[in-house]
Amino acid sequence: MRRVAMVGAGMTKFKEHFDLGIKELVPMAVSEMAASVDKGLDRSDIEAAWFGELTTSDGFPAGILADSCGLLDIPVTRVENACATGNDAVRNAMYAVASGIVDVALVVGADKVRESSSRSTFWEWAALTRDVAWDYPLGLVAPANFALHAARYLHESGATREHMAMVAVKNHRHALTNPKAQLRFEITVEQVLRAPTVVEPFGLYDCTPQSDGAAAVLLVSEEVADRYTDRPVWVRGVGLGLDRVMHQHKQDMTSFPPTVKAARAAYAMAGIGPADIDVAEVHDCFSAVELISYEDLGFCDRFGAAALVESGATTFEGSRPVNLSGGLKAKGHPPGATGVSQNVELFEQLRGDAHNQLDTPTYALAHNIGGPTAVSAVTILSTEKD
Amino acid sequence: MSHLAALGTYLPTWGEEQDRRPGPDEDAVTLAVAAGRAALGCLDEPDVDQVVLVSRDLPLLEGGNAAALLAGLGLPADLPVTEQVGGCPATLDVLTAAAPGTLVLAADLAPAGAAAALVGSDGLEVLPCARRVGSLPVQSRGRDGVARDYEDARLGWDRGGLAAVSALDLAEKPVVVAGATARQAGVLTRGPAPALPVTGASAALFALAALDDLGETGVAVAVEQASATAVRTGRGTTSLCLARDEPAAQSPATLRETPGPEIAISLAAYARAFDAKLRWEAGACDACGTLALPPRLRCLECGSEEGWSLAPLPRTGSVYTAVTVHVPVPGLPTPYSLAIVELDGVDVRALVKVTGAPAGGTAIGDRGRLVLRRVALRSGIPDYGYALLPTDTDPTTEDI
Repeated sequence: MRRVAMVGAGMTKFKEHFDLGIKELVPMAVSEMAASVDKGLDRSDIEAAWFGELTTSDGFPAGILADSCGLLDIPVTRVENACATGNDAVRNAMYAVASGIVDVALVVGADKVRESSSRSTFWEWAALTRDVAWDYPLGLVAPANFALHAARYLHESGATREHMAMVAVKNHRHALTNPKAQLRFEITVEQVLRAPTVVEPFGLYDCTPQSDGAAAVLLVSEEVADRYTDRPVWVRGVGLGLDRVMHQHKQDMTSFPPTVKAARAAYAMAGIGPADIDVAEVHDCFSAVELISYEDLGFCDRFGAAALVESGATTFEGSRPVNLSGGLKAKGHPPGATGVSQNVELFEQLRGDAHNQLDTPTYALAHNIGGPTAVSAVTILSTEKD
Repeated sequence: MSHLAALGTYLPTWGEEQDRRPGPDEDAVTLAVAAGRAALGCLDEPDVDQVVLVSRDLPLLEGGNAAALLAGLGLPADLPVTEQVGGCPATLDVLTAAAPGTLVLAADLAPAGAAAALVGSDGLEVLPCARRVGSLPVQSRGRDGVARDYEDARLGWDRGGLAAVSALDLAEKPVVVAGATARQAGVLTRGPAPALPVTGASAALFALAALDDLGETGVAVAVEQASATAVRTGRGTTSLCLARDEPAAQSPATLRETPGPEIAISLAAYARAFDAKLRWEAGACDACGTLALPPRLRCLECGSEEGWSLAPLPRTGSVYTAVTVHVPVPGLPTPYSLAIVELDGVDVRALVKVTGAPAGGTAIGDRGRLVLRRVALRSGIPDYGYALLPTDTDPTTEDI
């Protein structure tokens, strides 16, 4: 297996892009990625592309990427794996480069959640993830999907809504310096607790906003990496995990087994453990999901997340910051783009170019959990080639 | 003449004591099923050969309600079902003409309630007395579904109900009158008129239940506009088994309706799920017996793909986790609670909506029973399934 380097990364701002379609956002992200390549990118070098898009807001996804970016002569594969789409697109491209078939691979993620009317979004998106006869008519909205876990988690772990609120407060603060973030304002624990209830136990500030956006990274083989940069970031581990799709078949709802499986695979490939991770982008579509994910990723013991977030260890000043971008919570969450944008953030962190720049981090981890809490993807990046 | 072996009643919890409203997940089918299950639960081995539903609120005029009724009642799918449009006189007419083994159901939406009578070979005697069929349509509803009111209550009663009852030329005063207000009934009855919570088709059976409660036999009259039917009751050699599922009234929750596109339905998926979903049955693996809800090709436990058979599920359980949706959802009244319920005595959980209780009142560990409800209206089609009705009964209490 060849080693795989990330040599370019870029993204659009995440926001309600009513003025831009997917056909504009995708080429914008690709051009920003190209501009980030230290020694420049000749687009004709790109041999294949993987496009992560959860829904298609404007027609045939693979064709839109090829057409809108001027890449009509390469194969393009659309990846759809619920909210794990972005990191799964990275995983697929990584496999292609590692295998020796492709030297230069483009990964793009994009989605336009705000392209549908507010009234139609819920049922359109529910149809992607619910059993159509049994679960679909129940009105299992996305927050409820995760709240079923959160309610049980709070019941068993001793964590409280205050601990959930600390996650939201932290991620909002991190987003203040991120020019790409959708929600750039500070909030307090009291504001989170007092906000209107969306789905108990989630208030408005426990939830990600609805976002549009695109992100892109360039993966190349170790043989050609120095054509593009002298400071590559290495894709050291990738993993994908699944679980039963219906909530009633999930045995222990205080944990996300897909995350445990994806992380185990990624750590094994990277040859490291959770203690080695210096910085992470963790799926925080709802505040409690970040808490549960600390445990599933091995950042703390089972039911240790409340103490971890309370300690401040996952803030910018802490020992292992989580979601320095602002996370899904404050940066935004256009699902197909989300995982790719986590890689953009970590690429910049590992190269010393980030807005909340840490002091020489070595290992970084990106994580998604999604769909009916049944799929997770994890990517581990490093400044170290081996 | 008929004999009633069992009589069951059901009132939705919402509304006033004597003026109930259906919950957002109830219709004439779910109301009738609740009453029918009360009646059938009365007897050790109820013998049902056919079903008649009398109502002026049939959910579907085309598309059919019969299969949902039989599934909800746990009756075989080869029984004849008659869906009869009618009010309380029609219910008495059906009852007196019914053969033993007939389950007569009647359901109403305004006021809401339902009742069921199982005709047997013994039990309360019901003899036809007199009938008058007249026309004074002060309330009318046609194919367009629009209800119209002539708005002359005095005319309606004087030239309608009162005239119809006079035309019956009864030899003795009735004990109870269905289809009239308590004041109107009181003028006609020999003693104080028992108050009935409904006025439509099911009122006839509520009237017989009221007679039974009084420990009396006598004449019961059912009135609807200008028509009336009278029956006389008598004691059989066995007594009537009366079961009332009538929870205390609670104020209807303030629900928010959010307009939106119709909720899509796949009738292929509907048809595949129908039996398990409406009969509350799991797929039991033919190889190892493991239960799966919903039934599935590949066994959850042993991986066998050899086949499965439907097996009844317990109808009681406790809450593993629960949430309440407050955010507006197009097409669904909010707020509503969802719960994952661990069913008693089996390794099966189910994600269901909570019914019959204010949203947000259900917590982990709470107990309840699973009841048939209309989970959603999808593109005009009632999508029935089970919902959790919270109870404080202990797990050994037998479900009705």
